Amino acid sequence: MKNQEELLVALSDCVLNMEDETVGEVAQEYIDNGYPALDGIVNGLVVGMQGAAELYEQEEYFIPELLICSDAMYNGLEVLRPHLDKCESQKKKKIVIGVVEGDTHDIGKNLVRIMLEAAGYEMYDLGRDVVLQRFIDKTKEIDADIIAMSTLMSTTMPAMGKVIEMLEAEGIRDRVKVIIGGAPISLAFAQKIGADGYSASAVEAVKLVDRLLATETSKFEA
Amino acid sequence: MRMYNSKERLLAAAKQQPVDRPPCICPGGMMNMMFQEIMEQSNCSWPQAHLDAKKMAGLAFALNQAGGFENYGVPFCMTVEAEAMGAEVNMGNLLCEPHVVESPLESSARIDLIKPLDINSGRAKVVIDAIKILKAKNTEVPIIGNLTGPVSTAGILVDMSVLMKEFRKKPPQAERLMEYMVDNLIAFGRAQIEAGADAICISEPSGTGEILGPQRFRDYTLRYVNAIMDELDVPVKIVHICGSLNSVYHILPEFHCNVFSFDSLVSIADIKEALPDQAIMGNINTHALGTASASKITQLAWSCRRKGIDIIAPACGLPTTTPLANIQAMVEAAQVMV
Repeated sequence: MKNQEELLVALSDCVLNMEDETVGEVAQEYIDNGYPALDGIVNGLVVGMQGAAELYEQEEYFIPELLICSDAMYNGLEVLRPHLDKCESQKKKKIVIGVVEGDTHDIGKNLVRIMLEAAGYEMYDLGRDVVLQRFIDKTKEIDADIIAMSTLMSTTMPAMGKVIEMLEAEGIRDRVKVIIGGAPISLAFAQKIGADGYSASAVEAVKLVDRLLATETSKFEA
Repeated sequence: MRMYNSKERLLAAAKQQPVDRPPCICPGGMMNMMFQEIMEQSNCSWPQAHLDAKKMAGLAFALNQAGGFENYGVPFCMTVEAEAMGAEVNMGNLLCEPHVVESPLESSARIDLIKPLDINSGRAKVVIDAIKILKAKNTEVPIIGNLTGPVSTAGILVDMSVLMKEFRKKPPQAERLMEYMVDNLIAFGRAQIEAGADAICISEPSGTGEILGPQRFRDYTLRYVNAIMDELDVPVKIVHICGSLNSVYHILPEFHCNVFSFDSLVSIADIKEALPDQAIMGNINTHALGTASASKITQLAWSCRRKGIDIIAPACGLPTTTPLANIQAMVEAAQVMV
């Protein structure tokens, strides 16, 4: 029987080495041995995903690799999550994310979702070509802490400003932080439309959200 | 040096022959050249101009006539090919370009679900007919036909995230899909050339070095773009790759094109060093074209000229809110003889 440390390394390696088909068995073995699910996520799967993000930043990995690593992380999470204590899974900060209406380019948005999920945030992914009202409705429904919007096309950039105007009209602008990203987006544009933050990459997006919420209690470690 | 007309100038510049001054063009296709002001002036507006050959040709003609780019270019989006092969497209509106609603294939394994691209029906025919209308005007303005790149087209038919994973995990299966893309894109490209296109531009917004990394960029983007270019008999072949090129500079000389077009974040000095034997085209920031003053655009165009660009062009697709005055400023800066 493997000890917990060995299994944590195995979980991390499954994610880092893109073993999306074997990670489920390792996660099951980990649970069967009676080790805590939270540890398996934080010190196993998430460590592997962070390693993958580092390799991506060093241009050892590219987006295809990162996507398969994230599949492995999600496959592992699927096994471990049902074993989390209830209180552990309810403390997380909530983020609504989507690609704005008129645009279907969602690779960047998916990477941001993956990195934020790995960092312990609870993600509500509205997908792509998202009708703007859905950002508002979902935010109200789940009492979201952050709205994250993305677009790759300059023709759909103005939609981001519209969402902020809609939040103001609803009187809930001060209850939620708005962050934006995508190839044509800049910090200057974010400031112009009154967003709370801009990030140029998925890895930076985690730092941005951490900073905006300025609390570690949102993490799995909570 | 003698005066060139627009077509002669583009053909010469593409071959890196001496010219009186650089041409100023925008290919169309993924590299959108259209905006609200010219649509309203010409009474050829989106989305109708995506669907009606007369309006498509009319809009392309009007932009050149108004002191815009020194070429005609069609179509005005990157969804014609995918739609012809079975993707459902939302035609957008005056300001928003057409986009695919849903990728019809779950995986590259499902080639059986794709329709062959029929050049005699749908919007493929609209594009061909628009080229014929422009050709019949018998002007000295070059006509640029466009193809959405094979990786980007496959990445519309199959969700790009799924396709990228299959590039890595199931290469033979992904390659069969890519070969299907190549055959159909060759047919569409040849039909555009036969209708009168003087140039073909293949744009790869998804099949980039930045997204795929150098290995997959070579194995998929380079391989299949070349497979198409090799089958097209046309004097000007343009390849546009979006995004950063840092990881793939060494691969770029292997593209079978005579013009290479690139993003605004790429330095002209770096690209000239990487591509001594190809004409280089670009790379005026499209956000600036959309929002900056005309005098700022004049400066940007001159900066490109001073750095030795062979063909002045926007670095990507234009925002539909771009003022005509900015495009005129860009063209005028190219027209000054030095």
